[in-house]
Amino acid sequence: MGAVLEMTCGIKSYVTVLAILCLAACGTLREDNPGTQVAGLAGQLITGQTGARAAVLVSQEEILSNPGKYMRVNIRDLDRWDTMVEAARNGSKVTWVDSENNSITLENGVIVATRGLPRDLMGADTAQVWAAIRAGGGNAQRTHDFLTDQDQISQQLLQCRIAQQGSDTVRRLGQTLDATRFEEKCAGEGLQLTYIYWVNRSGLLLRSLQAISPDAGYLQIDVF
Amino acid sequence: MQRMILTQTSVFAILMGTVSSAQDIPTHYTLFGTPGLLEMPSAHTAPDGTLAGTLAYQDGLLRATTSFQLTPKLSLSARYSIVDLYEDPVTSIEEDAFERSFDVHYRLNDETRYLPSVAIGMRDLFTPARFGAEYIVASKSIGDRLTVTGGLGWGALGLRDGFDNPFPDLSDRPTFDDAESEGELASDFWFQGDVAAFGGFTYQINDQWGLVAEYASNDYPETPGRPALKADSPYNFGISYRPRPNVQLSLASLYGSELALSGTFSLNANERPSMSGFEKAPAPIKARSEAELSEPSWDREALPPEALRSATAALLEVEGLTLHGLEVTETTARIRYSNSRYRSHAQAMGRVARMMTQVLPASIDTFIIETQARGIPLSSVTLSRRDLEQLENRAGAAATLLDRATFTDANERPPLQDSPNDDTRFAWGLGPYFTINPFVGDGGIAVDVGLSLSARYAITPQLVVSGAVTQSVLPPDKDDPSPNIDDVPNVRTDGGAYGDDGVPVLQRLTLSHFARPGPNLYSRVTVGYLERMFGGVSTELLWKPVRNRLGLGVELNYAVQRDSDMAFGFEEFDYDVVTGHVSAYYDLGNGYHTQLDVGRYLAGDWGAPVSLDREYDNGIRIGAFVTQTDLSYDDFGDGSYNKGVRISIPQDFFTGSPNRSSYGTTIRTRVGDGGARLRVDGRLYGFVRDAHESDLTDTWGRFWR
Repeated sequence: MGAVLEMTCGIKSYVTVLAILCLAACGTLREDNPGTQVAGLAGQLITGQTGARAAVLVSQEEILSNPGKYMRVNIRDLDRWDTMVEAARNGSKVTWVDSENNSITLENGVIVATRGLPRDLMGADTAQVWAAIRAGGGNAQRTHDFLTDQDQISQQLLQCRIAQQGSDTVRRLGQTLDATRFEEKCAGEGLQLTYIYWVNRSGLLLRSLQAISPDAGYLQIDVF
Repeated sequence: MQRMILTQTSVFAILMGTVSSAQDIPTHYTLFGTPGLLEMPSAHTAPDGTLAGTLAYQDGLLRATTSFQLTPKLSLSARYSIVDLYEDPVTSIEEDAFERSFDVHYRLNDETRYLPSVAIGMRDLFTPARFGAEYIVASKSIGDRLTVTGGLGWGALGLRDGFDNPFPDLSDRPTFDDAESEGELASDFWFQGDVAAFGGFTYQINDQWGLVAEYASNDYPETPGRPALKADSPYNFGISYRPRPNVQLSLASLYGSELALSGTFSLNANERPSMSGFEKAPAPIKARSEAELSEPSWDREALPPEALRSATAALLEVEGLTLHGLEVTETTARIRYSNSRYRSHAQAMGRVARMMTQVLPASIDTFIIETQARGIPLSSVTLSRRDLEQLENRAGAAATLLDRATFTDANERPPLQDSPNDDTRFAWGLGPYFTINPFVGDGGIAVDVGLSLSARYAITPQLVVSGAVTQSVLPPDKDDPSPNIDDVPNVRTDGGAYGDDGVPVLQRLTLSHFARPGPNLYSRVTVGYLERMFGGVSTELLWKPVRNRLGLGVELNYAVQRDSDMAFGFEEFDYDVVTGHVSAYYDLGNGYHTQLDVGRYLAGDWGAPVSLDREYDNGIRIGAFVTQTDLSYDDFGDGSYNKGVRISIPQDFFTGSPNRSSYGTTIRTRVGDGGARLRVDGRLYGFVRDAHESDLTDTWGRFWR
């Protein structure tokens, strides 16, 4: 592929937040304060420039040589690829952000929240899904929160069956990786959907195709 | 490979019901702008929450209708018509008479596999009821394309081949006497006189095209006061085209001699085009580590409160929010801010809370978040930082957090020192304006277009000078105010003569002061050129506990009528008046709100306007109001009591971008001089309730958005 993937650094607001914290740190705050702790990350993202919207060019090599630092996402309904960086970590949940200030929160690689899509997943309990994948298959219950057109939370219960579908390969950025493919079929009130996961031997969810909502469609996520 | 994945998973399969029903067939709108055939109603209703606007034209009749499905079974409509009317004698015709109508339609039952739905309804409820008609109608869908309708009509719908009313006591329908008062409920006419049968069908050819045919029971006899329209045949035919699901364009052949065109545009308050909104992601919670959680205090030398404050202010600015104060103790942070970006104060609060986690020391475990507007705090919401960390991105997070949040009056705590903020002290704007004012004094429509320059300067956060100057681009009119034809001052009926000289005019120039004089109390004093027609002093006191659905207010004003050139003078009319009223506001629940004012109004009359609004949690508001005062019908003018409906739709409903503005209009009977209130900016209840528990709860789903 070889093309340079251009990413405008991080969610605009998030970078601005970091920049502001950095400014605060450069001004009144001292090195050991919380602002500086966050600003440490800001330093990575904004490459020493504060206040300005910095741009980072993320090459294929950069992604491959820094495992865990980047994630690639394809928003299927928008037909858009983007590179995401980690924005925050809260327990076992990690929030990633893309160049358009959209965010995805994963727990063990399974999406538990999105922000910035037409019908966001506001929050989810998916612990049983990961447990079933780790067990090589099984049943799981998902609980999903959506924001309705009336600004209410609509909660959806999904009964899911996860089945291992044998070995498969994941090809991306010139690499061919061995993986085990899992398919999760879920049914809830008025809704049926399917998820697909490719898991490597270490238990890392290399690639997945995960549903968000009927309005937001599917996301393909590649974890490096 | 990627393409293959897509094909294999075939995205979502949404399970749909397979039994055909009326809900599968799109609502067909009549030329009256209500669900039905062409001129005849059907028993069907639009989906709950549908707001539809219809413009229908035929020779001699133009109808503009707004129709709203208030509940799944109850529909309400308001209509302006420009119609030619027979005079007395009928050899002469009054051209382009302006009529307004209100309709009500109630569907008694849901359609079943074998039973039709049945509805009862009334058109043009108020005198003179030029189109007054009542009906009982049944409709049944057959398959997923055809609907069949049959019904019985009274009044205008009982004029063709009618038969005697089955109830002898109701056999004679009176004729409206033009000497009688207009705008009264026409209950003396309802379901009286002959009855006639009508019927028809609609057939949906495909998603875009449909056919409609009807046998119409109405007629247009040459009778004084009736529409001067022809009806040679009872058969009407039409074709409808839907380029989009919410648009219906129709062409119809009416009564064998006329052609009619109509367009209906609808939206559904329950189906937001912008779905859950397109705003970008908030900054996520910055969770504390286990070690940080055990920290009992923080080092103020290392992290001076002033630095925290400036960092927080900058973070809030990222979200379009303004910090007004921050007070930090070892374990608690109290923040005060104003929100001019998000329609939902709960969403703004969620963003504030997340920003607080970014910068505040780890020992601070309690956030007290106070929303401020017009310089005064509106409420205080206490949240646990630990809850925020634990609930973020979990299912049920919004409900659990709401359950654990504490709502109190922000006035219970000592004032927070306002941040000096010269950036927000002065603001100005220049932009176009467009106003339509139907039924001004002479009964016509006043339309104005021009430029508006507005500015505000906050001397203190609570004390604000603001003003607006407008320049109309329409040719000067130079209408003189009309002389009083009665004992009632023309406090509103001369409105059309104001500011029409073609020069810049002063819309308003005021000094306003807002305060919190005590617990649960809010006050306002406004002095200056309050509105287009009046200057003076306006004062208001509101009692509204944060957790209470009831609000009580009192307003006292001294108003002097301005000169019609809308400059600085008060000499032209030599009219001043003391007005005021006590108000009760109540949130009835389920989205219904009511307001009752009792007091004295601009013309010196005493009365009690009452209003009822249906408010959706997404911000759409549709309401009706009626004003009855002690003015006589002769003095009050047409309508004898003022009434109307108002509609307000937030901009973010369409755009999905955070915004606190809205589009609104009011459809009312003639603007009379009775029950007229000052149009003063900044009335308290509207913005105070916004941040109280009930309203915050309504949109709490957005806290985590």
